[in-house]
Amino acid sequence: MKKKFIILFLLLILPIKVFALIEVDITRGNLNPLPLAVSPLSIDNKSKKSFEKILKKENIGSEISTIVENNLRTSGLFNPLNKDAFLQAPEIANLKPRFEDWNLIKAQALITGKVTYVDEKLRVEFRLWDVLAAKEMMALAFTTVPNNWRRVGHIISDKVYERLTGEKGYFDTRIIYVAEEGPKTQRKKRLAIMDQDGANNKFLTLGNELVLTPRFNPTSQMVTYLSYFKNLPRVYLLDIETGTQEVVGDFPGMTFAPRFSPNGKKIIMSFAKDGKSDIYTMDLENRIVERITNHPSIDTSPSYSPNGKFIAFNSDRSGYQQIYIMKSDGKNVKRISFGNGIYGTPVWSPRGDLIAFTKLHKGKFYIGVMRTDGTGERLLTENYYQEAPSWSPNGRVLIFYRETKTNSKGEGFSAKLWSIDLTGYNERLVKTVTDASDPSWSSLLSN
Amino acid sequence: MNRSIIISSALHGILIFITAMSLPFLAKKPLDIPPIVSVELIQITEKTNIPFAPKAKKIIEKIKEKEKKLVSEQAPPKKVKKNKTKTVVALDQNSEIENQRPDAIPLPEKNVKKIKTKKEKKQNPDKVDEEVKQVSEFEKKELFDPTNIAALIDKSKVDSAEVVKKNDDITQDKDRSIENTGLTLSEEDALKAQIFGCWSIPLGLPYNEDLLVRIKLMLEPDGSVKKTEILDHARMNKPGQGFYKVLAESALRAVKLCQPLRVPTTGYERWKELQLNFDAREMLEG
Amino acid sequence: MILSKIFKNTLLVLASCLVLTACATKKVDTVGGQMQSDVYTGTDTVEYLADGVPDRVFFATNETVLTTASRETLRAQATWLRKNSNINVVLEGHADERGTREYNLALGERRANSAKDYLMTYGISSDRISVLSYGKERPVDAGSNPLAWSKNRRSVTVKAN
Repeated sequence: MKKKFIILFLLLILPIKVFALIEVDITRGNLNPLPLAVSPLSIDNKSKKSFEKILKKENIGSEISTIVENNLRTSGLFNPLNKDAFLQAPEIANLKPRFEDWNLIKAQALITGKVTYVDEKLRVEFRLWDVLAAKEMMALAFTTVPNNWRRVGHIISDKVYERLTGEKGYFDTRIIYVAEEGPKTQRKKRLAIMDQDGANNKFLTLGNELVLTPRFNPTSQMVTYLSYFKNLPRVYLLDIETGTQEVVGDFPGMTFAPRFSPNGKKIIMSFAKDGKSDIYTMDLENRIVERITNHPSIDTSPSYSPNGKFIAFNSDRSGYQQIYIMKSDGKNVKRISFGNGIYGTPVWSPRGDLIAFTKLHKGKFYIGVMRTDGTGERLLTENYYQEAPSWSPNGRVLIFYRETKTNSKGEGFSAKLWSIDLTGYNERLVKTVTDASDPSWSSLLSN
Repeated sequence: MNRSIIISSALHGILIFITAMSLPFLAKKPLDIPPIVSVELIQITEKTNIPFAPKAKKIIEKIKEKEKKLVSEQAPPKKVKKNKTKTVVALDQNSEIENQRPDAIPLPEKNVKKIKTKKEKKQNPDKVDEEVKQVSEFEKKELFDPTNIAALIDKSKVDSAEVVKKNDDITQDKDRSIENTGLTLSEEDALKAQIFGCWSIPLGLPYNEDLLVRIKLMLEPDGSVKKTEILDHARMNKPGQGFYKVLAESALRAVKLCQPLRVPTTGYERWKELQLNFDAREMLEG
Repeated sequence: MILSKIFKNTLLVLASCLVLTACATKKVDTVGGQMQSDVYTGTDTVEYLADGVPDRVFFATNETVLTTASRETLRAQATWLRKNSNINVVLEGHADERGTREYNLALGERRANSAKDYLMTYGISSDRISVLSYGKERPVDAGSNPLAWSKNRRSVTVKAN
């Protein structure tokens, strides 16, 4: 009886053993950018002619897809394949892609679309396809005035980026920065604004006075910056819609290093008097000024955490410039940078988990990130001179400026904007019309 | 004066002589032989000779890793909870980008309408809980096993059979290699190496989040994929699981791209069903 | 064979000695004359408010402390200011390019203020002195070397009227 039972039991469990599901852990893969194909948006002849007349662009469909292609490439996460290898014509691919053809050129995703001219408007329809799974991942359509065609390209890029990476994109954004011209000893500086990809550049000031460190508010409609108007360095507020400007607060001395609070209602800045600089806030609604730090040292470059509860800043109270954080009321000041060298310009990431900074060590400048408690320091890039990182709205990319070393005669100076992503591998020059510095990244313009 | 110059030059001469003499000796040191670049050949054998230790080590490492992860998960609460927005796709429902005043400084558009639905807080506490439970269970059994087996050896055979069964469930990995019910290490390595090459890890994924996608494959004898199944498929379309979906899709692409899979030439019954666990954290962290 | 090796090595050692000495002398030549422990002591960029009254003082890296030479300059300025009581001045503080922009603005302000404090101890009323920091925005020497930086770390007294 007992034996029989055992045999029965063994019979019961044996098959389970034999066919036990084999598990294989896949913990590695390639970190190469995802190969994808951006098929030019197809366009009918009539629409083509209309847009040619309005926009002076021969084929608006391929212009828009070029924008998408460039955006995706600069992100470093995608590898748009060469169009010459495409086997399917755009107008057919848009209807029904032959996935084998796209598979053949190793595209894993495909973007197709169609542009039409409807009621004096630009109508763009686009689809994202998973080539390997042979299915549609997304389809959207936009209608807008023809002049907005670049933004359509950026919005499509954002949608594709979000669908394939799981996080929001950062292409439909702008950069405000300081445009620089002239010799190093007598630089002419103007506020300028441009699209994230360098297009649509506009100068906002004339260059009669020195301007520095512009920063967007959360809605990207206001800018706070430092101007030497009448040789009085003060923090100003500029409404980029109306062009109106005003001095922030009534301080008997230099105010500088301004930034908005995350809700846009306050400006936080430094005020320098009698050789010491402290951090102040001013409420933009009731104009109440509040003093946040009170220390004989230099406290500057304040930056709020995204939830508004903390402030990161740099101070030389320990003897050298280091990064500190404190509560938004100035209590609980705590030093967080303890590595070798000097640390400055802390900027809290929009995700809230990291602080970007500038570091000077042994004659080299670094842009890096650390956790908000100061651990996990990672240096992303090293150069002769670079500083002032600003986060992309999704917290994946930093834009900053870099100045070159001059030769023995003091020649060869230039200042340029650069971007780098958190991996530290994808570093790129951001093209500007003139030399440039002090970039600030806007939020996503379309949400 | 002269004397000092002479002494100085003599001493310098000696110094130079010594240095010069010593250099040849240094040069006589064995030349650095460039390290032989080893090419790892993955031989596919039917059976693996080292069945036990590496697997056990792996399990221990796994436990450690999980513990570590738990600690880090519990320690600092996330500062910001991300709001993920899910876009429901609908063709032909126009999103409107409004006109801009051409001469004014361009403004952020508030009017780009999209067909949006639910916004939900990201986070799924259930998942974490599950992890916690799993780990503690795992540990307990591992600890209690050896003594228990010893204690039960004298007992009736039925009982011991039960223990074996229990044991089997817990440490499948070990058994697999002993009884050859699974893939041998070299077979597994070959398969892994192939899939590593096919899998484009989505570089935008957060490295600090618990992301693991388990895919069950039904295979043909030639290694081509008959059917794929995402094991916790429900999570795919849950709002706020954008990253999970992205990872799952990339894993599916990898499998598709890789087929036919490099499976052993024999023993189809063993591997006609396979489970792949895709975990990108290690890569994204480093 | 061995002899030639020894000969070669001797040459090598001699050559490296020469190279090293060349390094040492060069440094002394270019910098030694115009800098003393990081502070500019030359007169290339200095202008004069009046005969024997230099307009600027220099600082060491990251420092705002006045050197003995700087105090002397400021005493001369104080004497000159007392004589010309109708003249008001602006003290313009500057920093070198090796710091972040915002910190440098504060540093320039602090440098100008240490000059201001010194003038005040020599009896110049604070009403006559204003302070303006340019940070690293207005270097006097465009070079990217220690000497150029030392010239740029300065506080300049400028007539305001």
